[in-house]
Amino acid sequence: MLDASPPRKKLVEVKNLKMYFPIHTGLLRRHTGDVKAVDDISFDIYEGETLGLVGESGCGKSTAGRALIRLYELTSGSVTIDGVDIATLSAEQLRLKRPTMQMVFQDPQASLNPRMTVSAIIGEPLDEHTTLTKAEKLARIYELMDAVGLNRNFANRYPHAFSGGQRQRIGIARALALNPKFIVCDEPIAALDVSIQAQVVNLLEDLQEKFGLTYLFISHDLSMVRHIADRVAVMYLGQIMELSARDALYADPLHPYAKALLSAVPEPDPAKAARARIILQGDVPSPANPPKGCNFCTRCPQVIPVCREVQPALTEVAPGRFVACHLVQPTALTAGPTGGTEAKEHNQQGATR
Amino acid sequence: MPDGALPVLDVKGLKTVFRTRGGEVHAVNSVSFHLQPGELLGVVGESGSGKSVTMMSLIGLLPSPPADVREGQVLLGGMDLLRATPDQLRAVRGARIGFVFQDPMTSLNPVFNVGNQIMEPLRKHMGMDRKAARQRALELLELVGIPDAARRLDDFPHQFSGGMRQRVMIAIALACNPEVLIADEPTTALDVTIQAQILELVKELRQKLGMAIVWITHDLGVIAGIADRVMVMYGGQVVEQAPVRELFANPQHPYTRALLKTIPKVSGEREGRLQVIEGQPPILSAAPTACPFRARCAHAFDRCHRENPQRRAIGAGRVGYGHDVACHWTPEVTHA
Repeated sequence: MLDASPPRKKLVEVKNLKMYFPIHTGLLRRHTGDVKAVDDISFDIYEGETLGLVGESGCGKSTAGRALIRLYELTSGSVTIDGVDIATLSAEQLRLKRPTMQMVFQDPQASLNPRMTVSAIIGEPLDEHTTLTKAEKLARIYELMDAVGLNRNFANRYPHAFSGGQRQRIGIARALALNPKFIVCDEPIAALDVSIQAQVVNLLEDLQEKFGLTYLFISHDLSMVRHIADRVAVMYLGQIMELSARDALYADPLHPYAKALLSAVPEPDPAKAARARIILQGDVPSPANPPKGCNFCTRCPQVIPVCREVQPALTEVAPGRFVACHLVQPTALTAGPTGGTEAKEHNQQGATR
Repeated sequence: MPDGALPVLDVKGLKTVFRTRGGEVHAVNSVSFHLQPGELLGVVGESGSGKSVTMMSLIGLLPSPPADVREGQVLLGGMDLLRATPDQLRAVRGARIGFVFQDPMTSLNPVFNVGNQIMEPLRKHMGMDRKAARQRALELLELVGIPDAARRLDDFPHQFSGGMRQRVMIAIALACNPEVLIADEPTTALDVTIQAQILELVKELRQKLGMAIVWITHDLGVIAGIADRVMVMYGGQVVEQAPVRELFANPQHPYTRALLKTIPKVSGEREGRLQVIEGQPPILSAAPTACPFRARCAHAFDRCHRENPQRRAIGAGRVGYGHDVACHWTPEVTHA
């Protein structure tokens, strides 16, 4: 897990991804507007890394994660995973592509079928995508249960017999069944107790090392993302506000929203509790009716007139740091030797290297 | 907190058992604590540690059956709430003890506007007429920082955002100037930036109104920021209790120590691998005869399996007033 390693392969390339949900009103159910859950985001995920995606509820982070493996039909944009643009694949082509990309869901209670045994749940992807014999399949199921730390003897039990943390392990085993390259973890620890969260996070890290997995780790828990992610994208109202390497972001967030978000996290240390907090006023606007200009302009403590008019583009302001803010300009920073290469390209980070 | 001041709330040896078809669940076992005037007591623990059940037992909010508050004493200014009549309890709830629950969506009534919901305790407990109650409701909404309060009074809960709804809940809880405010995970359902707003509000209100607060949470970060004193619960028992700085600087119980190490931090040195507490929380199907944490404890020895440890003071002071811990392993004196 290096921060600035030599040329790395891009496993996932997201370009101008938009995910709108239509609003139909009136007697005729006419299409009168859209909930812009994800509004034009672009980023790359490199092979073997963990990209953290953080933001408050309703910012579109889960929608982005689901759209990334095409659990929704995209409104527009492209998602290239391992060289294939999955946005345009036919249903059958997509089905064949599924084994490379898997998902771990937030609620282990809701994402496991209560009427299937653990071995049936973990074995289902194998039934669908492989031609293993019964014995081979069982061997694979046991192997997966070992990998996630579940007792083999419980293979014939039902999900209700397991605790939350164990259920999440079942969900992880199912995601691993087909040797995926890329796993979207959508708030995998949000429903778990603090002492169990660490167990699951350590497991995810071990599996990443063992199988060379690439994660998109979606979470609202900024401390946990700091622990697990290599790079972090901060979303607000459907857009990426800042995308930086983990250490750089936590040491010195550049976007005003990233600053406020990080300062709002309560620290488990009474000595630090008195530190200056940025308290944002008001609430997040509705994604059906985002403000004109920058999406954050209604709550931004540093708002200037241009913010209410022009939407800032996500720009590389320093090596490896992408910020969408009028106040943070590449020239204002000591961008180092690469300062000359202005990243003008709209939302094309990664490509500017 | 000085020993001398008379506590507003004094809970002694509280025991709550649920009788279910699958047998008994001993959710709260001999929990004792007290609350000084103006103090904020943080209660931390995982789900199932008994923190919410303890607080609900205090003022008879648990349906019985299945709940059975078996033993103990809950003294509120000399009155034992466990032996109070339903009428007496009703006069306490909402008037002398205010409650804020976790989920502001389900704890407000969706068919009444928020003005009426704030006015309800005022009219019931304080005997105000509609006009006076409405005036007071308006003041309360302004107090909790809802913009344009006069107009919002006639709005319904669904017209408020999560953070605003929680402010309304706080306004209701504060309506009758309670001596004690019990807040059960009031910010857990909220986003961090909204949580920061509510925490600021509570700090401000404490200074203005000076009531005592019990703040239940599983988030040690929140506790570090607002509490004066912390009580750590595990398996239905109090395992450690200390002033907030003391607890974070010098945790004694193996559970508290491990818990502080499992949580990653947003600043400072980035930790390597997270320390885990192996295993699962205990199932409380019988009255405890051993330490509830023994199965997950790195330091457990034979005595831990035989005998449930009692709370004892660390250093000087009495149990409940300084730093105390319920553990056989913790050395008698750890202060230099």
